[in-house]
Amino acid sequence: MFGEQQRFVLLLIAPAALLLLLFQVVPIVIGANASFRDWALYNPKKTWIGFDHYAAVISDPAFLYVVLPNTFLFMVLSVAGALVAGLMLALLLNRPFRGQKLVQTILLVPLMVAPVVAAIMIRWIFNDQFGIVNVVLEAIGLEGQPWLVQRWSAFGIILLTDIWLWTPWFTLLLLAGLQSLPKEPFEAAAIDGTTTWRVFRFLTLPMLRPVIVVCVVIRAIDAFRTFDIVWTLTGGGPGRSTELFSLYAYVHAFLNLDLGRGSAAAIIGGLIILVIGVVLYRLVDRIAKA
Amino acid sequence: MPIVTRPDFLPGLPKWSRKTLFALALLGICFAFAFPVLWLILTSLRPESGVYYVHRGTEFTLSSFAEVLSDERIVGAFLNSALISTLATVFSLLVTVSSGYMLSRFTGPAPRIWFGTIYVFRCVPYISWVLPLYFVTQSWGIYDTYTGLLLPHIAVHICFFSWLMKGFFDGIDPSMEYAAMIDGCTRWGAFIRVAVPSALPAISALAVLCWLFTWNEFLFALILTGNRVPMITVVMAQFVTEMGLRWNLMAATAVMALVPAFLIALFGQKYVIRGLRI
Repeated sequence: MFGEQQRFVLLLIAPAALLLLLFQVVPIVIGANASFRDWALYNPKKTWIGFDHYAAVISDPAFLYVVLPNTFLFMVLSVAGALVAGLMLALLLNRPFRGQKLVQTILLVPLMVAPVVAAIMIRWIFNDQFGIVNVVLEAIGLEGQPWLVQRWSAFGIILLTDIWLWTPWFTLLLLAGLQSLPKEPFEAAAIDGTTTWRVFRFLTLPMLRPVIVVCVVIRAIDAFRTFDIVWTLTGGGPGRSTELFSLYAYVHAFLNLDLGRGSAAAIIGGLIILVIGVVLYRLVDRIAKA
Repeated sequence: MPIVTRPDFLPGLPKWSRKTLFALALLGICFAFAFPVLWLILTSLRPESGVYYVHRGTEFTLSSFAEVLSDERIVGAFLNSALISTLATVFSLLVTVSSGYMLSRFTGPAPRIWFGTIYVFRCVPYISWVLPLYFVTQSWGIYDTYTGLLLPHIAVHICFFSWLMKGFFDGIDPSMEYAAMIDGCTRWGAFIRVAVPSALPAISALAVLCWLFTWNEFLFALILTGNRVPMITVVMAQFVTEMGLRWNLMAATAVMALVPAFLIALFGQKYVIRGLRI
């Protein structure tokens, strides 16, 4: 039926495609099916109720006014923060100096730390009674804060943890990008006596743009689904004020035991990120071709 | 005149102050990235009575580690995590190296469709398929077993790693494979004996990343396991709620969870850094 080459091509992807089908496609279809049914975990009637769950999620003020804004704010700020910090570090480290290897190794530390462990660390550091941050603040005469039980300080700490975890990725990828740039334009600029800022603005940044865009796309899509650090740091609290989209779906499915509603939320989130993903892909494609 | 290709750090200042400021900046960076981990290690070494005043006192002890190591559940979780991470790395590489090779070496509708598929499924948030996967694994009778945990952990990396592998193979000149095929090698021979060995540095980088990702993974382990095959990340997260006040034990467990990841990363550092240069 197939030629020799087609058989080879299909066999190469067959195991991957099979796994993808069984463990992503099938569950997504089952989840989509559950999202249209009255499917409480304690009483799975499984009767068809149409778009009721979707209507309930979309009209839920917690989803509309807390979860969605939180998710987008988190996505934008975490990517922007890690990008700016990573770019600054990459520029700083892009020169030979003594101890370069050591600094590089220390920068790799957050890559090895599980997000759950990072969250535990940060929770301990910001503990309201015994955390070192409050101890230091009180030692210099300021007032310690109950960091994790106020909405915006909790959100800020989640953000900080995420940026701490991901800045090294940006640094390493951008540093690799910087080191593979051609030398000639920079030499020409140096001979012309161009200022550092203008070199950065008109040479480094445009030439680095493809690397930056790829980093941002990968990271933005991952940031949208963040679960573990929020779960461990605040559990979505205080109240539900730091809930992100993944937590919302999880809480509805496994804590409120309403699988239908949780699945509907998961599908809505999936659709949102899919649209963002496709738009971002177009953007990468345009920039790569330009 | 030496040609400066890299802009100076803070040009315009005298050289000695530039050097000092640069050193201070480096020190600050190292501090920011290392401090939380150092603080965790320090906490884990304090006795129970001293844990609330980590910054004061000079008593240190390994008793927290001893207590953690005598807890069967935690030790079991460590072994589970290590086993699943290792197996997931092996199988996920077997599957994604060939898939990335296909994406890199062939053109036409099949590779185009496959690339579109993996891009779309890479975007799908984990929660959207792990939530129903809970039921899928239950109805297949593999919920809370090694199989039920291992297979999703392999599936999760297919998209991203196929994509990365494509990039690696794109950077390798295919003419050696053509030469091998002209000399009578089959397609499989050219792939396994020529292409894979030349991609070995990239494959090592991917192996390190895959092991770290699986070891650090949380959501899958949370949803897909009950009591029989707990993973270390889940056990730790339960700690936060169950033993909220025993910070020395929590820190000791967290430090122990860091050690294997550190060893793997230190050993694999040069591969990862070389591999990221695509």
